[in-house]
Amino acid sequence: MRLRWLSGAVVFLLTPNLGAAELTVRITAARAAAVADAVVTIAPKAGTAAPSARPTAQTRVIDQKNETFIPYVEIFRPGDSIVFHNSDHTRHHVYSFAPARQFEFVLTSGESSSPLQLAHAGVVAVGCNIHDQMITYAYISDAPWIARSDANGRVSIDALPAGDFQVRVWHPQLRPGQQEPVQDLHIEASSDSKDVAFSLSLLPDPRTPVDRERSGY
Amino acid sequence: MSFRLRLASFLVASLAILQILTAILVYEVTRRQLIVQGEQELVVASKAFARQLDDVSTRVADNVQVLTLDFALRSAIAQRDRATVLSALRNHGRRVGATRMLLVELDGSIQADTAETSPPLQKFPFSDLTDAALDHPSAAVAAWDGRAYWIVVVPVSAPALIGLIAAAIPVDDAFLAHLQEQSTLPSTIELAAQSADGHWNVLARGSDRVDLATQVIAAKSDTPMLTDFNGREYVALATHLNSSKSSAPIIAVLGYSLDDALRPYRSVASAWAILLALGLVFGLIAAVIIARGVSRPVEALAATARRIAAGDYTPSAPIKQRGEIGELAAAFNNMAQAIGEREERIRFQSGHDAATGLPNRVSAEGLIQMQLEAQPRMRGALLMVALARLPEITKTMGHAISDRLMRNAGERIRQPADKALVARATDTEFLVWMRDAEQAAAIALAFRILDVLGVPYQEADLAIDLAPAVGVALCPQHGAQASVLLQRAEVALFAALGSEEPVAVYDPIADPHRPERLSLMSDLREALDHDQMQLHYQPKLNLATGMIDGAEGLVRWTHPKLGNIPPDAFIGLAEETGNIRRLTRWVLAAGIANARAWSVSGKNLRLSLNLSARDLEDVDLPRRIGELLAVHAVPPEMILLEITESAVMGKPEAAIRVLQRLADQGIDLAIDDFGVGQSSFAYLRRLPVRELKIDKSFLLKLAQGTEDRTIVGSIVELGHRLGYQVTAEGVTDQTTLDYLGEIGCDHAQGFFIAHAMPGEAFDAFLAESVWSRRRIA
Repeated sequence: MRLRWLSGAVVFLLTPNLGAAELTVRITAARAAAVADAVVTIAPKAGTAAPSARPTAQTRVIDQKNETFIPYVEIFRPGDSIVFHNSDHTRHHVYSFAPARQFEFVLTSGESSSPLQLAHAGVVAVGCNIHDQMITYAYISDAPWIARSDANGRVSIDALPAGDFQVRVWHPQLRPGQQEPVQDLHIEASSDSKDVAFSLSLLPDPRTPVDRERSGY
Repeated sequence: MSFRLRLASFLVASLAILQILTAILVYEVTRRQLIVQGEQELVVASKAFARQLDDVSTRVADNVQVLTLDFALRSAIAQRDRATVLSALRNHGRRVGATRMLLVELDGSIQADTAETSPPLQKFPFSDLTDAALDHPSAAVAAWDGRAYWIVVVPVSAPALIGLIAAAIPVDDAFLAHLQEQSTLPSTIELAAQSADGHWNVLARGSDRVDLATQVIAAKSDTPMLTDFNGREYVALATHLNSSKSSAPIIAVLGYSLDDALRPYRSVASAWAILLALGLVFGLIAAVIIARGVSRPVEALAATARRIAAGDYTPSAPIKQRGEIGELAAAFNNMAQAIGEREERIRFQSGHDAATGLPNRVSAEGLIQMQLEAQPRMRGALLMVALARLPEITKTMGHAISDRLMRNAGERIRQPADKALVARATDTEFLVWMRDAEQAAAIALAFRILDVLGVPYQEADLAIDLAPAVGVALCPQHGAQASVLLQRAEVALFAALGSEEPVAVYDPIADPHRPERLSLMSDLREALDHDQMQLHYQPKLNLATGMIDGAEGLVRWTHPKLGNIPPDAFIGLAEETGNIRRLTRWVLAAGIANARAWSVSGKNLRLSLNLSARDLEDVDLPRRIGELLAVHAVPPEMILLEITESAVMGKPEAAIRVLQRLADQGIDLAIDDFGVGQSSFAYLRRLPVRELKIDKSFLLKLAQGTEDRTIVGSIVELGHRLGYQVTAEGVTDQTTLDYLGEIGCDHAQGFFIAHAMPGEAFDAFLAESVWSRRRIA
């Protein structure tokens, strides 16, 4: 059982595993809009074995292009490093006040930051002090199964062994004060596929400037 | 109230009423228009007010939002540096005008509060705002601790959402005033919030500090309504503000002051009032002028009418006005003139005689009286001129000729009368009034008048003798009143007519018409009733025997106040007033009673008693005398009744019947005053007379031996030849008595023998007198 990481928005399941089921998580928001960049983590409940293999530490680059952090959400494992690259012609003042990792620096055009190791699990929200709409999230988790939804709001996790799990979804725009989107999941040995659907209540996308004409307040 | 005043008042009052009504109408229309306008304005203003609040909200929210982007603040918040956060919040709060800034956790708990209340506020009260703020900055008006605030809540991202900042910006009086200054909001804005007990409290007010909120909210009307505060009128509208759902409801009350709205019209109104006043003044002047134009001629006409009423017919000044008034004035003048002429004619007619054109008696009397009153001591003479034959002429020739005659006579009198007033007094009389004239002048004029009237009146082949006579009365001797003078002059005139003298001056003694006579008459009746009269007896001497063998009973009256009244005075009066029969009755009764006394006492006397002419008309007389004689047992031979010639001549047939009956009773009759009347022997022979009494006028000069001796002797002889006894009256001396004896007259009577005397005196006379004893051969 192996989890493949791909740089991009889609998680692929490369090698099918015998005796394991394929989980498809569909994440929608209001009006059945597909929710991309949602992070799905699956944790086995007590009595279900967790995979023991741990991937090696990696370094991932967050690009800054057109005054946008790309990607919006990136998944990290504790110990992984993050590098910010400025592909714009402007400066970016990258900062984070996240308890998991705090930093602040200015990247000139074309400059890349030195790798910053994300040692602890957590969510590190990174913004640009010059451009308020620029934001990206580094989701640092050591969950056995973790994946990010694609543009269609889908997450597929294959070779999930039989057993009981908790499926959590996180999204940077999750509305505070709502019930945490968690579902219990039971995988039968005989089943080969499972669908789970989440319907989220989201805040507006902070990356888009607020349309004040239509804000209505 | 004069016509002018009324007319002017009416005009001015109509003008004023019209103006005031117009003013009221305009005021009402304006007011209603302003109310409608105010209502519309309020609806618009309330929307505008809400929008302005929203705009301000947006701006404030933006400002607060900008604050949240402050890196240091975000840093402090993210790092939970509470002191820094507080100071930063205070700092930013000042920038946006917020009096309270809070940092609110996403779960609503309060992280930091600049108000630092004690105890610290735990939970942010406006959860709807914090909820909404997650999507976008939210803002709303809210009542908080008794005041109105904008609560603006914005999310704080660092860069992820880490909390919310709430800013409380007071919506206070100053703010509302500021809003009002910047916009065309009405002067009255009030914000009110409902407290827990349902009561509405005013949280803030605009520049106009009136309290409309409580009444307007109480009315619960969502449309503009009319209300008033302290006597000022407002159109007010209550609008629910877009307030926080967690807050008590907030209502904005907008008031539109009608008075303020009317204020611009006030200047118009005062200008109007000035115009109205000017209009009234001009109207008044015009009204007075117009009214004067109408009323002056009317007043002039009224004055003319009053003058006419007072008898002044002089035409009034012509009224220079055309139209009806002018015509009326002209008609008025014509009328006044016509009335004047008519009155003149009537007055002339009333004061003048139509036939002669002379003043009539009434006007002349009035004129004379006026002069006498004007000059109390005036002397004057009033002449009454009568044409004695005029009644005869009128009866013979008719009134036309007598009128012409009178006119002619009047004209003739006027020549000698000169300035004296000549008037026609009666049908046959003229009067002439001489002022300041004495008796001599009056008599001279009287004779001149007689001269001019002495010429007979000539008409065609007629010549009429006027036979004038004049009576004169003098002022003041005969009277000081015109009416008295007239009366006296007329009395004098009658005297003149009855005498040969054609002119007579009034003689008060001879006046039979003096008023005293009337009272004398009633006194006479009184005397007769109470037996106050006396019968005196004048002895009658029998010339043949020289003895008194008879007496004439003569009535005497001693008036209690006036003394002795002459018999001529009261007998004539009694004849005129119809009392003579009573007098005769009394005389007969007294005389016959006395004859009885003589008879009883043995005196052989014959009593003569006088009868009046009127008594002979009394057919009852013989019976009455008969009764008297019978009652007193007096034989008729003892009585001799004397009558005058004229008494028989008046109504001879009736008189003869009465006399005959008396004679039939055995009473002898005598003709008294024989010789002066117009006795006809033809009648005399028919009378049953036994005796003639020769009038005393024949005996007055008998002693001097004139022809009266012949007359008396002839009468005696004639009498005796005709078989009459003859008695002579008025014997005053011995010569006469002797002569009477010579010619064989039967009886004599007179002062020389004896006066008439009362009964006792007569009895004494009979006892003592020489005539009782002496005998004449």
